[in-house]
Amino acid sequence: MTVKAGGEEPYARGPAPEGDEAARFSAMLEDNVVDLYENAPCGYLSTLMDGQIAKVNATLLGWLGYRREELVGRKRFADLLTVGGRLYHETHFAPLLGMQGEIGGIALELRAADGTRLPVLVTSTVKTGDDGRPLLIRTTLFDARDRRAYETELLRTRREAEEARLEADRARLAAEEAHQVVEAERARLHRLATTLQRTLLPPSLTAPTGLEVAAYYHIASADEVGGDFYDLFPLDGGTWGLFLGDVCGKGAAAAAVTSLVRYTLRAAAVYDPAPAAVLANLNTVLTREYHGTDPRFCTVLFGLLTPDTEDPRGGFRLTLASGGHPPAILLGADGSARYLPTPDGQLIGVIPDAHIATTTVCLRPGDTVLLHTDGLTEARTLPLGGPVGDGDGRYGDDALLALATSLAPTTAPAAVTALQELLDTLGAGVDDDTALLALSVPHPTPETEQ
Amino acid sequence: MTDLSTTTRSTPTGPVLEIAGDLDFHTAPRAREVLFGLTPGPGQLLVVDLTGLTFCDSTGITVLVAARNHALGHRAQIALAGVPGTVARTFDITGLTQIFATHPTAQDAIDRWSARTDG
Repeated sequence: MTVKAGGEEPYARGPAPEGDEAARFSAMLEDNVVDLYENAPCGYLSTLMDGQIAKVNATLLGWLGYRREELVGRKRFADLLTVGGRLYHETHFAPLLGMQGEIGGIALELRAADGTRLPVLVTSTVKTGDDGRPLLIRTTLFDARDRRAYETELLRTRREAEEARLEADRARLAAEEAHQVVEAERARLHRLATTLQRTLLPPSLTAPTGLEVAAYYHIASADEVGGDFYDLFPLDGGTWGLFLGDVCGKGAAAAAVTSLVRYTLRAAAVYDPAPAAVLANLNTVLTREYHGTDPRFCTVLFGLLTPDTEDPRGGFRLTLASGGHPPAILLGADGSARYLPTPDGQLIGVIPDAHIATTTVCLRPGDTVLLHTDGLTEARTLPLGGPVGDGDGRYGDDALLALATSLAPTTAPAAVTALQELLDTLGAGVDDDTALLALSVPHPTPETEQ
Repeated sequence: MTDLSTTTRSTPTGPVLEIAGDLDFHTAPRAREVLFGLTPGPGQLLVVDLTGLTFCDSTGITVLVAARNHALGHRAQIALAGVPGTVARTFDITGLTQIFATHPTAQDAIDRWSARTDG
């Protein structure tokens, strides 16, 4: 490779070894300065102070795809740069170089003859003459393609990492939101279950003035929701409605029917409070709603309480309608106890025109009336350890009447407490849920008599 | 606790289902399964023989009402036979004795049914 002598002096040579040995040594050391300059692993460029190219090495020509004569004396360094590079060169590179005499590590982009871009790292120094005047600029250019690719790769991986982080953040947020949704759903379900439970049983009964009330609900199994229900609520003109019953079956399906029965009874009582009419309405609703091979029906007592204003002793008249339900028990002030029979009343919800039986009783001070579901009378008496009950292993109606007789005269709270204790004693013998509702007219106290 | 046993047989007037033991919440599903396997023809009589019944709670009554609806669904009739004294009171209170025709024995139910259709 020949090199035309430029304005620059060649590098000084060291002491030359002699002979073939010396040539091999020289080749090994690569101390052929011209070859080293031309084919160095970097680009060399020397320009005049106005930037005009004076000398360029073969490496840089190869990178750019120019012939030497196309550049030397014809183009300036800035002409080799991209537009952006030219701007940067003019505003930063050249002024700094002029001030400092050198500048290094500047990333610029060259534009090759074919238009492709070549990223380079540029270092320049100003060579001055003996009088200190600047003569020319020596510039070294390193191929920064790998470095640029590395940086691009770094940027890309950083972007990917950032995206992955964002994705993780989004996933975390989504998980948090999902968790919140689940929590909210759980809270909602809990509220729903609590509300549903409240709709099946009144939390506490409000007693009409002049009446004592007590109620108890015995849950036989925590796994299966029973279908017993009761309620006591005010109606027009000082009258009160009450009911107690048992939806046949257990579980969620029975609970749904229980809810329907409760609301139907309350609505029907507002429409027409006559007890037989209330149960007739309920019968119509149930027979239309449930029929076929999965019948849903109930036994129920519905009562209407009317304050007895005609009798000087006070008290209430209670009219009871029965739809196939075990009769209520009257525990009299005189110490007697008797069932209040409602014969020929039929299950509610089985046949379209169910027969409904009614009976009316007057409750005077000291009287207590007790309504119950058959979970009590059908309880197994084995836990009592003796021949209690009707002899068939169940507690039975006769045993209940005997207990009622022993309790009378009593009050609603005392009667319910006594039966609650009996249920506790029977324990696991109680297969089915049991509901109890008792009403009693208290004896007038000296204050109320005045 | 008494278990539940069921037997079925066919007669010219229709199927007879014998239910013995306790019919309650625990045994009702099995009784229903047997019941729904019976297909009385139109105008026939389904007899549910309860002679061996030792206990029947509200869920048990559900089975009997389902049996009634099942029979009516096949345009057949239903009769109860041999309702024992121990569950008769429950049947009285719930008014089942008015909903169902009841007979002392399954044969009585069949004889009465035959006499009616013959007449």
